[in-house]
Amino acid sequence: MILQQAPADTLNYMLLGYAVILGMMALFIVRLALRFRGLRRDLEWLDELERGEKR
Amino acid sequence: MEPMPRGLKVLNAVTGVLFVIALYLVWFYAPREAVMGEVQRVFYFHVAAGWVGALAFIVAVVAGIAYLRRGDHRWDRVGLASVEIGIVFTLINILSGSIWARPVWNTWWTWDPRLVTATVMELVYIAYVMLRQGIEDPERRARYGAIYAIVGFISVPLTFLSIRIFRTIHPVVIGSGDPTAQGAFDMTPKMLTAFMFSLLTFTFVYATLLWHRLRLEALNERVERRKIELTAGGA
Repeated sequence: MILQQAPADTLNYMLLGYAVILGMMALFIVRLALRFRGLRRDLEWLDELERGEKR
Repeated sequence: MEPMPRGLKVLNAVTGVLFVIALYLVWFYAPREAVMGEVQRVFYFHVAAGWVGALAFIVAVVAGIAYLRRGDHRWDRVGLASVEIGIVFTLINILSGSIWARPVWNTWWTWDPRLVTATVMELVYIAYVMLRQGIEDPERRARYGAIYAIVGFISVPLTFLSIRIFRTIHPVVIGSGDPTAQGAFDMTPKMLTAFMFSLLTFTFVYATLLWHRLRLEALNERVERRKIELTAGGA
């Protein structure tokens, strides 16, 4: 990049960088949501199990 | 499961708005850097992600000390939640740095002190999660986790200081760096605004994610407790 007249054409790298940054943040949030859903299901299942035992 | 607290709903909304503004500042408000071109815009979220990683590990060490002093399991939850977030954001920091380095350093990776110390820090905290998964007794898991978080924290200042104490090609944003650094640039006032705003936004992102992660951990403990109660009741 020495002695260059104009900024380097690095748009693709910027897009890749933000795809990785935003993609990983989104993945983490989706994973949190899925873990929440799984635990809620577990709790409902345990409630049903307890009701069944009492009967 | 209790409904989402009003404070968390407000924090979600505020963080969302801040994030959109930060993206606008980074992509459209901050000027294009004269030498590196568009890829320099990765810098704003790259540093902000690194900041969240460090902040998360600082919170984990504070939580570790608090747990050892008080024995309150809520501090153990804070430590684990914070480390998980720290691992994700440190990984974002490392990967985005690698993408920036490709056109600027002409390589995806080099054995530079900053890159090595950041990767070691990431591995130290991945090992923290693995250590916890290997211990069944909750008391021991929390105690070992707290001690590990305190000892492992040495990797955080080492990573931060590595570009100041070792010979490196990694640019230094605040303070003076090695003259051999490649990819350094002077921030214009608009760049500084975008940079500071990104740091603020990511701090909000961290607080929001931590709150959600703590709620998840509380729910997880509730499920585990119910399982034990049911097993004990059925026996």
